[in-house]
Amino acid sequence: MVKLKIDRKDIAKMAEELKTKGYSYLVKITAVDYEKTLEVIYIFRDMRGNKEETLEVELDPADAWVPTLIGEFGAADWYEREMSEMFGIEIKGRNAERLLLEKWNGKAAPLRKNFTWNAPYETSD
Amino acid sequence: MTTRINIGPVHPSTHGVLRLVAEIDGDTVVNLEPHIGFLHRGVEKLVETRMYMQSPPYMEKLDYIAPMSYDEAYVATVEKAMGVEVKERAMWVRTVLLELQRIASHLLWLGTMANDVGQFFTVFMWCFKDRDLVLRLLQEASGARMFYVNMRIGGLIRDLPPGFEDRAREVLDYLDKQVKTYADFLERNPIFMERMKGVGVMSKEMAVDLGVTGPVLRGSGISYDVRKDNPYYVYEKLNFQTQVRSEGDCFARYRVRMLELRESIRLVRDALAKMPAGDAIGMPVKLILPNAKNRIVSVSRELPRGECMMYMVADPQKPYRLAIRSPTFINLAALRHISRGCRTADIFAILGSLDVVMGDCDR
Amino acid sequence: MAPIVSGYLGLSGTPATVADTVAYAIAISILIMAFDYFFGWVERKTIAKIHKRHGPTYAGKYGILQNLADFVKLLSKENTVPKTADKLVFLITIPLMLSISIFLIFLLPFSPTLLETNIGLGLLVVFVLLSFMPLIIFANGFGSGNKFAAISAQRSVIMLLSYELPIIFVIAAVGALANGYNIAGIVNAQSKWWFIVLMPVGFVVFFIAMLAELERTPFDIREADSELIAGWLTDVSAPYYTLALFLDYTRMFLGSLLIAIIFLGGWSGPLLPPVVWLLLKAFIVSFFIMIIRATMVRMRIDRLLRFGWIWLLPLSLLNLILTYVVFIA
Repeated sequence: MVKLKIDRKDIAKMAEELKTKGYSYLVKITAVDYEKTLEVIYIFRDMRGNKEETLEVELDPADAWVPTLIGEFGAADWYEREMSEMFGIEIKGRNAERLLLEKWNGKAAPLRKNFTWNAPYETSD
Repeated sequence: MTTRINIGPVHPSTHGVLRLVAEIDGDTVVNLEPHIGFLHRGVEKLVETRMYMQSPPYMEKLDYIAPMSYDEAYVATVEKAMGVEVKERAMWVRTVLLELQRIASHLLWLGTMANDVGQFFTVFMWCFKDRDLVLRLLQEASGARMFYVNMRIGGLIRDLPPGFEDRAREVLDYLDKQVKTYADFLERNPIFMERMKGVGVMSKEMAVDLGVTGPVLRGSGISYDVRKDNPYYVYEKLNFQTQVRSEGDCFARYRVRMLELRESIRLVRDALAKMPAGDAIGMPVKLILPNAKNRIVSVSRELPRGECMMYMVADPQKPYRLAIRSPTFINLAALRHISRGCRTADIFAILGSLDVVMGDCDR
Repeated sequence: MAPIVSGYLGLSGTPATVADTVAYAIAISILIMAFDYFFGWVERKTIAKIHKRHGPTYAGKYGILQNLADFVKLLSKENTVPKTADKLVFLITIPLMLSISIFLIFLLPFSPTLLETNIGLGLLVVFVLLSFMPLIIFANGFGSGNKFAAISAQRSVIMLLSYELPIIFVIAAVGALANGYNIAGIVNAQSKWWFIVLMPVGFVVFFIAMLAELERTPFDIREADSELIAGWLTDVSAPYYTLALFLDYTRMFLGSLLIAIIFLGGWSGPLLPPVVWLLLKAFIVSFFIMIIRATMVRMRIDRLLRFGWIWLLPLSLLNLILTYVVFIA
């Protein structure tokens, strides 16, 4: 698996480049919370040769947003929504509605490390 | 003038807790939005608080129709992080058990799919009876009928009992005949054929763009099977073909799964014949990965429903992060796109052909 | 009561009095309930055996009391009417349909001597009243206050468009062959050859169209239980649900009786009393309908329309023309 660390501003460009190179199958968009940084991971696959390429983007937790890939990859739809609501990362370019957690308006996103299990949270009810 | 129908989380048919909000114009579906998350249990977060070998029960409850496949995928990820080689015989036994699990899962799919199309429980009952035989085999091998938890690091909790091969062969011979009967029963029925052909067509480009996996992908003409293209365990030593169909409609997906069912029966027979003697017991449960701060591993497996990829960031005692790419999640995302313009009655035919398990989808 | 009993057995014929007719009506109602109960048991057991399982075994010997147990349980529940429903329409539908079905069975003569209820245009009356059913369902669909019932009701009326015309044409052919629509006359006209032999195409068309009329698989689009929940029965609560089940079997009884009378020679047959022959034939037809339910897949509504107009209607017209050409001209 080839891994590339890129900047947030290069995501859209790199994704388009990969798609033209033949990596047209989006395997997963996910994120890892390393406390000081958030790392967003995009995994693409080339169906013909079964090669995979991973893009890793580091984000500052206070300024967490990524541009959307939904224009090129239809699979990005649900992956982005799930990642955004689990990690609190905003997806710029679309208003993504809630996917997994309905009516949840908590202060911290569930999969981040600073999410405490018993903290009081707000809901929209 | 569209009507909004809520095909609610509670269904009379066995789809699991899935809510479909359909906008219908007369009899045609204008828009279909799946609302998921009713079975969301936060597995990815829970696993971060448990030690490695405390997590397999969580993994099994994800895809509760083929639990052993998730269990095995997770244990394989941990083994890769540890750098442990699976024992030779254990690889063969795991392959046999996984393929038996695939047979059981596809039998259940066949029953529920026939039920969705309107076949009044007949095929459903027959398939469940046959699935019971396979579950009995798996019970002999692992001790449980549903949630097995029989995978250990480097092997299994116990080897196959003596006489397993003969009993398995009996069951497989019987299943071979039965599967042919069911295929005949359904495919000679012109009403079934006209409900499945041409319904829910997914073209090749659409399949790749939407990122679907498994029989859904193979039913649209893309020949990708993790067992063949990224092989693990002993699949390279067994000869089988990836089943591909190019039409992309419900019938193509149905046909791919039926052929996979037959291939799995053949695979189990083959593996049982070629299995070497040896030791298949894995390491005991307590486990620490020394020097493994934030080691990243990723493992792909072919579940009955599609490809599952586990992306793990490993810490010494527990996973730092486990990202699960579940097949049903992404297959269900495609439902919206392929059901545009179809009839109301087709929604269920398409849903049945996508083979959704909500535990897998919501995690 | 002796005239009634001997009339049943076909031994002698006497003109009817009011008391006789009332007694006849009560007897027919008991017969219908007995058939519904018994056939319900037969259906559950047979479909279970097809499914490779046992069916009811605990309630009574061989599960014969199971239907009674279900009946008692369902009747003991609370009757609820949804707030958005029109109470009169919602509550009156099922009893109305049930009474129409029982009335129609009442119109059919069960033996050559029980002709009190034999009307001149009996067959036409039967089919006119039968085609009221989808309209009642339509009213119920909109009075139920939920979308599933409304959609079910729409589908029911759409189905009406596809099977009603073929039935009418087959009935026209039957009337031509039997020189009238008098039901007893139709049975008597089959004394030489049963109409199934004379009009095989008509029999097939009629059978399939009757399946659609009775809303059994493969045409149970209205109830479609794996799709729109339970369709029109979604909000119907327990006591009315028993009536709905009765309705299903009563309509099937009516349909099988019609098929037996029109095509299978009605009550004619050696040795056994005519009533027994008629019930036996009706039972065999019902059994066949039930086996179709266990094995067939449900049709999609637009496919059904196509099927009705492309296959059933032309075949029924062909049948009518052939009947005229061969037998009348």
